[in-house]
Amino acid sequence: MNANKRAITDWIFKQGFKTAGVVTIALLGGIFFMLLYNSISFFIKRSPLDFFTGSNWDPETNYSILPLIVSTAFVAIGSMVIAVPLGILTAAYISEFAPKKLQIILKPIIEMLAAIPSVAIGFLGIVLLGPVISVLFGIQNGLNALNGSILLSVMALPTIITISEDAINAVPKSHREASLALGANKWETLFKVTIPAAVPGLIAAVMLGLGRALGETMTVLMATGNAAAIPKNFLDSVRTITATIAIEMGEVPYQTTHYFALFAIASILFLITLVINLLGEYFANRLRKFHQ
Amino acid sequence: MKKKFSHLINWILLIGSTFLVCTFLGIILWDIFSKGAPALSWDFITQYPTNGMTKGGILPAMVGTVLLTFITTLFAVPFGVSCAVYLNEYAKPSLLTNIIRASIRNLAGIPSIIYGLFGLALFVQGLHFGTSVLSAGLTLGLLSLPYIITTTEEALKRIPNSMREATLALGATQFETIKDVILPKALPGILTGVILTLSRAAGETAPILFTGVAFYINGVTTSVNQEFMALPYHLYMLSTQHSAIETVRPLAYATAVVLIILVFMLNTVAFIIRFKYRTQD
Amino acid sequence: MKYIIFCFTLLIYSCNSNKGTIKVKGSDTEVNLAVVLAEKFHDKNDSILISVSGGGSGLGIASLLNGTADIANSSRSINDEELQLFKKKNIQLSTFFFAQDAIAFVVSDQLPLDSINTKDLAKILSGDVKNWSSLIKQDIPINIYGRQNNSGTYEFVKKILNIHFSANAKQMNGNAQILESIKADNSGIGYVGAGYVMKGTTNGIKILKIFTVNSKAVSPLDEEKIASGSYFFQRPLFQYYKTQDYQKVKPFLDFEKTMEGLSIIKSSGYYPVKK
Repeated sequence: MNANKRAITDWIFKQGFKTAGVVTIALLGGIFFMLLYNSISFFIKRSPLDFFTGSNWDPETNYSILPLIVSTAFVAIGSMVIAVPLGILTAAYISEFAPKKLQIILKPIIEMLAAIPSVAIGFLGIVLLGPVISVLFGIQNGLNALNGSILLSVMALPTIITISEDAINAVPKSHREASLALGANKWETLFKVTIPAAVPGLIAAVMLGLGRALGETMTVLMATGNAAAIPKNFLDSVRTITATIAIEMGEVPYQTTHYFALFAIASILFLITLVINLLGEYFANRLRKFHQ
Repeated sequence: MKKKFSHLINWILLIGSTFLVCTFLGIILWDIFSKGAPALSWDFITQYPTNGMTKGGILPAMVGTVLLTFITTLFAVPFGVSCAVYLNEYAKPSLLTNIIRASIRNLAGIPSIIYGLFGLALFVQGLHFGTSVLSAGLTLGLLSLPYIITTTEEALKRIPNSMREATLALGATQFETIKDVILPKALPGILTGVILTLSRAAGETAPILFTGVAFYINGVTTSVNQEFMALPYHLYMLSTQHSAIETVRPLAYATAVVLIILVFMLNTVAFIIRFKYRTQD
Repeated sequence: MKYIIFCFTLLIYSCNSNKGTIKVKGSDTEVNLAVVLAEKFHDKNDSILISVSGGGSGLGIASLLNGTADIANSSRSINDEELQLFKKKNIQLSTFFFAQDAIAFVVSDQLPLDSINTKDLAKILSGDVKNWSSLIKQDIPINIYGRQNNSGTYEFVKKILNIHFSANAKQMNGNAQILESIKADNSGIGYVGAGYVMKGTTNGIKILKIFTVNSKAVSPLDEEKIASGSYFFQRPLFQYYKTQDYQKVKPFLDFEKTMEGLSIIKSSGYYPVKK
């Protein structure tokens, strides 16, 4: 191949890569525009005030996102209440106290937990956890917010554990050594020095775990009962934003108000997860900068 | 004395949490495998569902999942790798490229159902592909793009600049550098990312819900324009929508087993590649 | 290079398919029947691939409108708004009545109630009456297990009783989940297509007889009463398709009219169409 031909090939592929890059980014950007366009189509027809403050999601008459947001909040916060302490403590154990051999077993275990598809977890919510909850609380049906929270915590745990682990590992040895040298024992070091030092990274872990929980669809669709009323307690049936989209999207004729309404709630979900992920990234950056 | 007690509590907290987490995995695997394995058989994997799907196997679901993942890869890998190559090798670092990278990272965190909506609007509706393997595969491809781009970029970044400079100094063009030196070296890292993405795509249900998956198909999907069955949706359907839920419960468990084995196999392959790659470094 | 060959093969693969496809979507009441029909149809004619999905009558009709289905299974008749949407797109619609269905109201067999009148049923389902005490001598709160609003069964009950469902009615993903819930909850009441409770899965549940001001208690399992149209909650089952697609869907529709098709319909718990 003479130099000219090679130069042309080089140029062709450079344009090819560039095009692929641009198309990819355009496609991903398209998601944003699709949400925006269809949401605006909704707000032209219905008032934003009703949307955010009404108490009923009853397609064709009332489109209020409030019960859906409350439902989503219930399961997401519920899952964090379980997953955050468990996750951080587990991460602390794995990175600070577990012997090397145990670490080699534990890490794949966490990865395996992360690999389990959400349908399988939702399935267990129906066949295993549901009956347990109904027996435990003496209620008839175990498909409710509690079920969803527990399942979501299982899904968020690997994220929280892995990132917390990174955060705790990144705390320089010097911190620990200084603390021990000053007479603290390993527990005081852990709880009063290491973990506080890892806080930015821990917050990142929680944010990303929360983002995962908020965006889950199948698990909540299968295990939470799907009643679109504002829940009063954890034993109530709830319907999250994601489940609502999954249930109703197939049945809307395109370009109707209901169709646009679903995009509107999808946009809100998008914004919420975006904010949470951005926060997570912000704290992860703090972590990186701290250890430069 | 008090100190010893609080130390004990601390140990319990830490080891207890870890143990609890492991127990979660244990319960999940134990329940699914113990109730699913009995219903598994060679027939189960090679036969069609019959009798209103209360008997028979899950062959069409497996074929569908394979076909789907195939299309996902076909679309996501070239685009994703090209995009990463462009960002890392060609584009000059600037505010724009940083924004693009940040956007891609954030897109990885967007709920999968929103990708489903986008796939519906773009592929099913906009491009008139209708509900089909093509639409669903492309949608899953989009879902996989951010992850593939990020992992490919990481693999590319790990290659020291000195290699690029040396190759260019020897007279190679930039493309030849990429083709013959950089990509081969980064291949294990890229491959790991691709396989992990596939494993995730194989288990996804939300994005395929309105882009082409069907409850039942009376044959094998032979064209990308047709609808398809898929393992994760089959599990969902057997456990919530089917008319004889209790009768098909064992089938549901068995489907769960197959799905989990598939996903674990893919993850193990990725793990092995990554392990060999890291030790080689 | 190998990669390009791959893509090319895929392209050929996709264009080369000789199989026609019929997409059938819609009512969950009809979906299992459609699955068995499709399965048996394959034995007769394997050049047409039939894909069947549930999701509710609303989904079926919307899919027909959107072009993502060829036959829409619907357990309710198409409503005016939907007809308007079809008109707007200039699409001619054809209807095929292929069976009659009855909706059964089920409770746990632990509940001491055998029949109910339509007025009380309306009060319960709309949330006006929240406790069983007004009907039986026990103070038990009522748990409603129903469908989601894309379900034709949901719409039919709502319309014929002229109510809005209580916001506390649980919305289950399908008939099957409703039955499971009733079996587990002896304070529950739910509604399902009669076909679901005819095939032997009746342990633990009881089917209520319905009576109105005009008639005595009728059970949905009573074939003669259904044939004479005397059960309050009975309805025809529809299949809608675009008139222009008639040739495409004809093979399947014809199969449904054959002896074999009719016997499948009967054994799935539906009744032949009133002549």
